[in-house]
Amino acid sequence: MSRAMVTVTGRGASPPRAGVALVRRTRSARAARSTGYWLISAALVVIFLAPFLWILASSFKSQAHIFADVSPLSVKTFIPTEPTMSNYSAAFTNEHVGRALINSLIVSVLQVALTVLLAVPAAYALTRLKFRLQGLMFGIILVTFMIPAEAVVIPLFQIVSDLHLSNTLYGVFMPFIASPFALFLLRQAFRDIPLDLDEAALIDGASHWKIMTRVIVPNVRPALATAALMTFLFSWNAFLWPLIVIQSQNNQLVQVAIAINTVPGELPNWGQVFSGAVIATLPVLILFIFLQRYFVRGIVASGIKG
Amino acid sequence: MAEASSADIGQAAGRRGLPGRPGRLLSGRRRDTAVTAVVCLVPFLVLLAIFQYFAIGLMIRNSLYSYSLLNSNFSKFVGFANYTEIFHDHLALQSIGVTLLFALGVVVTQVPLGLGLALLLNMRRRGAPLLRSIVFVPVVTSVVVVTTMWTFIYAPSSGLANSTLHALHLPELKFLTTPHQALPALVIMTLWEEVGFSMMLFLAGLQSIPTEFEEAAAVDGAGPWSRFWKIVLPLLNRTTVLVVVVSTIFALQAFTQSYIMTQGGPDGSTNFMVYNIYTDAFNLGNPGYASALSVVLLIIIIIVSAIQMRALRGRR
Repeated sequence: MSRAMVTVTGRGASPPRAGVALVRRTRSARAARSTGYWLISAALVVIFLAPFLWILASSFKSQAHIFADVSPLSVKTFIPTEPTMSNYSAAFTNEHVGRALINSLIVSVLQVALTVLLAVPAAYALTRLKFRLQGLMFGIILVTFMIPAEAVVIPLFQIVSDLHLSNTLYGVFMPFIASPFALFLLRQAFRDIPLDLDEAALIDGASHWKIMTRVIVPNVRPALATAALMTFLFSWNAFLWPLIVIQSQNNQLVQVAIAINTVPGELPNWGQVFSGAVIATLPVLILFIFLQRYFVRGIVASGIKG
Repeated sequence: MAEASSADIGQAAGRRGLPGRPGRLLSGRRRDTAVTAVVCLVPFLVLLAIFQYFAIGLMIRNSLYSYSLLNSNFSKFVGFANYTEIFHDHLALQSIGVTLLFALGVVVTQVPLGLGLALLLNMRRRGAPLLRSIVFVPVVTSVVVVTTMWTFIYAPSSGLANSTLHALHLPELKFLTTPHQALPALVIMTLWEEVGFSMMLFLAGLQSIPTEFEEAAAVDGAGPWSRFWKIVLPLLNRTTVLVVVVSTIFALQAFTQSYIMTQGGPDGSTNFMVYNIYTDAFNLGNPGYASALSVVLLIIIIIVSAIQMRALRGRR
C-alpha cells in the first residue's frame, strides 16, 4: 500500500509552489483514487477468478454437495467440502477422457512441429531471398488470414474425406499446418535481423540451409516460441473442426469429449463435467503461467502489426 | 532507420552482386536463390492451395448444387436456388440477424471495457501485472470450457449467477431459458472471456504512445479528461480499429455457445450462423444449402471488416 502511494505521488505532476491547502486536497483526492483502484481490483479478482474456483471446488464434490453448497452463497461454495476424487476417476473410466487427452496431445504436438517446420523456410524465402513475385506470394498467403476456418468446414470435410484422412488424427491438423499466422509472426521477426549477417555468411561460403539454421533461427527464438505456443493454444482449444472430422470415440479429442457431457438433453453429472473442464484446462494454464510473456507477445503480434 | 539501410544494402547486393565478384558466381547464386525459394515455399503454398483456395472454390461450386454427404452419387446442379432459398428461410434470416446483433453487443461492450481496463492496469501500481494476468486467463481457456462453466453458472436453479443475485437480494433471472435474456447472457459471457484480449491489445497500443505528448499537454494545463479525449484516444486509433475488427470477426464465428449452451434456442434467439450452417449440413443433410450460407457468412465477414476499417481509419 505504501509503495503504491509513493509511486502514485511520484507520477503526479504537482506544481512546485503549491499552497498547503492545495497539497492536502490533492493528497486526499489521491487517497480516494487509490481506494477506488483497490476496490476495482478486488472486484476484478472476484469476477474473473470466482467461476474458476467454483468449478475447481465443485469438481471435488458429489452432485448433492454441489447443489447444497451453491445456494445460499458462502465460502463453502468455493472450497471442497468433504473432497472426493470420484468425479475424476469417473471421467477417466466412463468418459474416456484419458484417451482423449493423449489424442489431443498427439495432435497439438504434431501440429506445432509441422507448422513451425513449414513456416520457417517459407518466412526465410520471403524475407532473405530476392525473387520476382515475392510480394504477390506474400499477398496470396496473407489474404487467407481473413478466412475463418468456421466458414469453410464443409468443403474442408469433403477434401479431408477424399484424402482418406477423415476420422484420423492427421485429418484434424493437416488443413491448418500451412499457417499464415505463424508465417506472419516469423516474417516480422526475420525482417528485424540485419541482412549484413546473411551477406557475411554467404561470402564465407555458407549455404542457404546453413544461414537459415545457424544464423536466422538462433536469432528469432522468442518469435519461434510465440508461434509454437499460439499454434498449441489454437490446436488444443479447437472444437468445431475436431467435432466434425472425428466420429469414433477412440480418436476423440479432449474438448469434444468434455463438450458432449454438457450438451443438454439428459441430466448431466455436474461434478464429472467440471472435472473434465479442469483436466482440459490444466495443460494450457500451466503453459500460460510459465510462458506468459510469449502468450502476450503472440496476442499482440496477431494484431498490432497487421 | 537501421532496417531501411540494411534493406538497401540487400537490394543493391541482389541487383549488382557483391562488389568484386566475377559474373559467373553471380548467376550461380541467382540459380541457387531460385531453387531455395522453390524448396522453401512450395510445401507451404501447396497445402495452402488445397486447404484454403481449393476449399473456397469447392464451397462456391457446392453452393450451386444439391447433394448429399452420405451418398456421393447424388448431386444435382441447381444454380442459384440455394441462394434464393435463403430469403424464404426464416431460420436462416433470423440466424443472420441474431449473429449481427451478437457481434454488435460484443463490440460495444468489449471495446470501452477493454480500454478502461488497459488504462487502469497500465499504471505502475502494485498488483497491476498480476491483475492483467488474471483478466487474461479466460482468453487462454478454451471456448468449450468457458461455455461449459457458464452453462452451469446460468443454470436456472443451483446456478452460481442466480445464487449470487439471491445473496445480493436481487430478483433471480431466467438467463438462457427465455428469448429476451439468452443473447444478452451470451454477450456477458463473451465479454468475460475476451475482454482480456482487448485489454492486451490496448495496453500494447498505450505503451507505444510516447509519454512526451501527454506531458506536454499536462504542462499546457490540459486535465486528464481532455488529455484522454484529445491525445490518447486519437493516437490509439489503429489499435481501436484492430480491436473492433478482431472482436467482430470472433463474434461472427460463434458456434460453441449455441452447440453446448442453447442449441440455438430459445425460439432461435441464439441460433448463430455457424451453428445454423452446421445443423443444415450435418444434421439436416443439406450441405449444398449450407455451402451457400457459408458463402454468405464469408461475404458478411469481409464486408463488415472492410466497412469498419474504412469508417474508423477515416475518422481522423
